Amino acid sequence: MTSIAGLLGRGAGAMADAVRKREVSATELARASIERIAATDARINAFTAVTAERALKHAAAIDERIAAGGSGLSADLPLAGVPFAVKNLFDVAGLTTLAGSKIERDSAPASADAVLLQRLEAAGAVLVGALNMDEYAYGFTTENSHQGPVCNPHDQRRIAGGSSGGSAAAVAAGQVALSLGSDTNGSIRVPASLCGVFGLKPTFGRLPRTGTFPFVSSLDHLGPFARSSRDLALAYDAMQGPEARAGTTGEHDPGCAQRAAQPVIGLLPRGLDGLRIGVLGGYFSDNAQPEALAAVDRVARSLNVTESVELPWVEAGRAAAFLITNAEGGARHLENLRRRAADFEPLSRDRFLAGALLPAAWITQAQRVRRLYAQQVARVLGDFDVLLAPATPCTAPQIGTEWLEINGRRLPARASMGLLTQPISCIGLPVCTVPVWQAHPTMPVGVQVIAAPWREDLVLRVAAALESAGVVSAPIAAP
Amino acid sequence: MTPAQMEDYVDAAAAALELPLEAAHRPGVLQYLALAAGFADIVNAVPLSPHDDCAQGFLPVGPGEEAR
Repeated sequence: MTSIAGLLGRGAGAMADAVRKREVSATELARASIERIAATDARINAFTAVTAERALKHAAAIDERIAAGGSGLSADLPLAGVPFAVKNLFDVAGLTTLAGSKIERDSAPASADAVLLQRLEAAGAVLVGALNMDEYAYGFTTENSHQGPVCNPHDQRRIAGGSSGGSAAAVAAGQVALSLGSDTNGSIRVPASLCGVFGLKPTFGRLPRTGTFPFVSSLDHLGPFARSSRDLALAYDAMQGPEARAGTTGEHDPGCAQRAAQPVIGLLPRGLDGLRIGVLGGYFSDNAQPEALAAVDRVARSLNVTESVELPWVEAGRAAAFLITNAEGGARHLENLRRRAADFEPLSRDRFLAGALLPAAWITQAQRVRRLYAQQVARVLGDFDVLLAPATPCTAPQIGTEWLEINGRRLPARASMGLLTQPISCIGLPVCTVPVWQAHPTMPVGVQVIAAPWREDLVLRVAAALESAGVVSAPIAAP
Repeated sequence: MTPAQMEDYVDAAAAALELPLEAAHRPGVLQYLALAAGFADIVNAVPLSPHDDCAQGFLPVGPGEEAR
């Protein structure tokens, strides 16, 4: 392994340290990432576009800035030279924002970058491409009929999960050190679980979504994937903070709380001191296969957690998430459903069509139940700082799997991959998905580390402690 | 809803929305409507008072804030 290949394997923080110390250049890292994508992506199918020219130009600018020296490089360029990629629902100037669809291929290229992409590049990271996903983010498997399925880097016969399947797979395959995805009902946490990487779904409203293609605005979150909790924290800190308003021409995410940044990187060493941690039982154990429960058990034992707790109204919360998603997604795409339904992804088209027809009273009731459920869960979070639950009911199924057996019930595989994530994102709680390897002979499965709103620091502290204890890790898949 | 009521509902709602449904898509639409109806039964079983409000909020938009 060359030193550059070694650096690609070490993660974002180590790469940035090396670039700032001029042990390696941002240009060399960008080239190494582009070469690895070229060497591996025929098997993985994570990328829908590689932005090599842009990457090398930006990397050269980072190298010039480092060569010029000066103080404050560590603070100004915490991600110096780190190659990253974004789910193809993020606007990338000059590229058409596909959102996984065939229909959007007819749209004009984006004129500007998404806000979070701008923020990562301002921190020194280098965009190398756009990533495959489920069409319009409506799926948990990234079996995209237009682009082909994303294959799990750890076993290419299996799914990578979705809808941010390309984002998780690119990190697991060592193509990039960081990626961005979106999570409406589990689309960061499911692929992170199945590909064995770390994923952070921040609190709803924490990170601005400006410059991304929406799915369900009342539920959409954005967040990073990485191979360590430290790398997640570096990326997350670089993306926090309110949007600058630019008068009447400036775009602005009305769903973003526009909170001041609350950096977490310095809090990771605090560990578990004083944290009250519980395991979610009931619904969360009833809807998981033995390997997913074994992963939670392994994490809980490492943390000396014995207390189990159930969330009130959790099934109603999941039902509310389904209905809101179905109706809002269907309504968003109604015009194209009228004119060109045949051009939609066959795996989600009929769901979109049905969603457009749902009675308004169901959706209003779902939104009211969502609030009641959030209030009930807040009471539980008064007694626990952190809750643990499986991220997926099982390890990655084979591509094309139609049905899952869970506790003697036969369930549709594609929809069921989000059974355990939907009740959490429905009420906007921050979650770090951590990858556990010892629960299955060959494949990873993730555990959700969940906290109260705006406490991303707690989920990342627990993730870092588990990593230090050797309980969770994100090795790069063998080429 | 019974299966027959569901078929009638799909036809009426699709007509109201001017949403043409191809024959090949109709069985899938009915299947997903049935799934949604099951979830609606779950949320409708939650006892709510008239004072239990929606989760969504709205922020007024002032002059100079018209951008998306």
